[in-house]
Amino acid sequence: MKKIGLILCSIILLTGLVQVKAQKMENNSEHKGYKIGDEATDFKLKNVDQKMVSLSDFGDAKGFIVIFTCNHCPFAKAYEDRIIALNNKYASQGYPVIAINPNDPKVEPIDSYEGMQKRAQEKGFTFPYLMDEGQTIYPQYGATKTPHVFLLNKENGKNIVRYIGAIDDNYANPNDVSHKYVEAAVDALLANEPIAQTTTVAIGCSIKAQMN
Amino acid sequence: MRYLVIIIMSIITLNTSAQNTEKPDYAVTVVRFADLEAILQKNDDKLYVVNFWATWCKPCVMELPEFMEVNKAHQSNPRFKMILVSLDVAKDVETAVRPFLAKNKMSVDVYLLNDNKRMNEWIPAIDKNWSGAIPATVFYRNGKKLEFIENRMKKSELEQVINKYL
Repeated sequence: MKKIGLILCSIILLTGLVQVKAQKMENNSEHKGYKIGDEATDFKLKNVDQKMVSLSDFGDAKGFIVIFTCNHCPFAKAYEDRIIALNNKYASQGYPVIAINPNDPKVEPIDSYEGMQKRAQEKGFTFPYLMDEGQTIYPQYGATKTPHVFLLNKENGKNIVRYIGAIDDNYANPNDVSHKYVEAAVDALLANEPIAQTTTVAIGCSIKAQMN
Repeated sequence: MRYLVIIIMSIITLNTSAQNTEKPDYAVTVVRFADLEAILQKNDDKLYVVNFWATWCKPCVMELPEFMEVNKAHQSNPRFKMILVSLDVAKDVETAVRPFLAKNKMSVDVYLLNDNKRMNEWIPAIDKNWSGAIPATVFYRNGKKLEFIENRMKKSELEQVINKYL
């Protein structure tokens, strides 16, 4: 009787373990896109001035602040001025902002190419604002929402992902920010120091793609 | 005399609000994450379907009518509870959130999570794989997370998960 009990217990334990393992695998497969340390792909995307832009065009850059953002999302809008400020502060130090609109304009018409041109002009964007036409780039990066930042650092000719996440810790009020995540990360790269916080999360608008 | 008027007025107000209890008042409870966590940790054998949304979030707004249909079908079940967690800013409760609920006749428990500055703490506390995109829906029972879905859910998908656990 004791033996049967033991066997039963083992079976229950084993099934539990298998389930836990299966769940973990599912979770891992859910997490698509880049992790810290991965090499980021270059791209050739159309800017609001009709010219095509690639990371390789920026020979002097030490890296890039790639920000997936858009016109319609209240979070993205709340951060527009802070994105301009990031470019103003860091482009001259070798880390320009590259903004990419990942949304399908068929799903969100406000995020059309014309809409982007209009917004870039209204706000006086000083950085490229590119359309992810065909939506091929954001899935490779693993962007899921706007705004979503990927800080890249040029290392041996490769663009290595060094920070993924939010711009800072308070989208609603720029005057009440305690942690400027992106600034801290770029400052660390500039000082050749390790980045203290390499990933953060914040609520954002999901990237708009056609649902199957 | 003035006091008498106040008392009478209060009684009238109380009465009307008592009469109105059958009608939903589209209340929104503003909470911090700790308050929400306390609700999710309840040991009451209920299946909690918790949907994170915002009035400005189009895919959220698109999936809500079907969520409401599913809620209607299950709300009499004492082992079922649907909760909407709005991520609108707190100052929009009266100007955006409640009018939205009233317009769409949504009688469901609605909380507004007013904890902006700690997103980087509570988003991973809900699910370590949540990037922060909404809509997102999480299923709990007795403090245990059963499923987490960071995406828009079709009615059939929502029902499938509920039927799995109910």
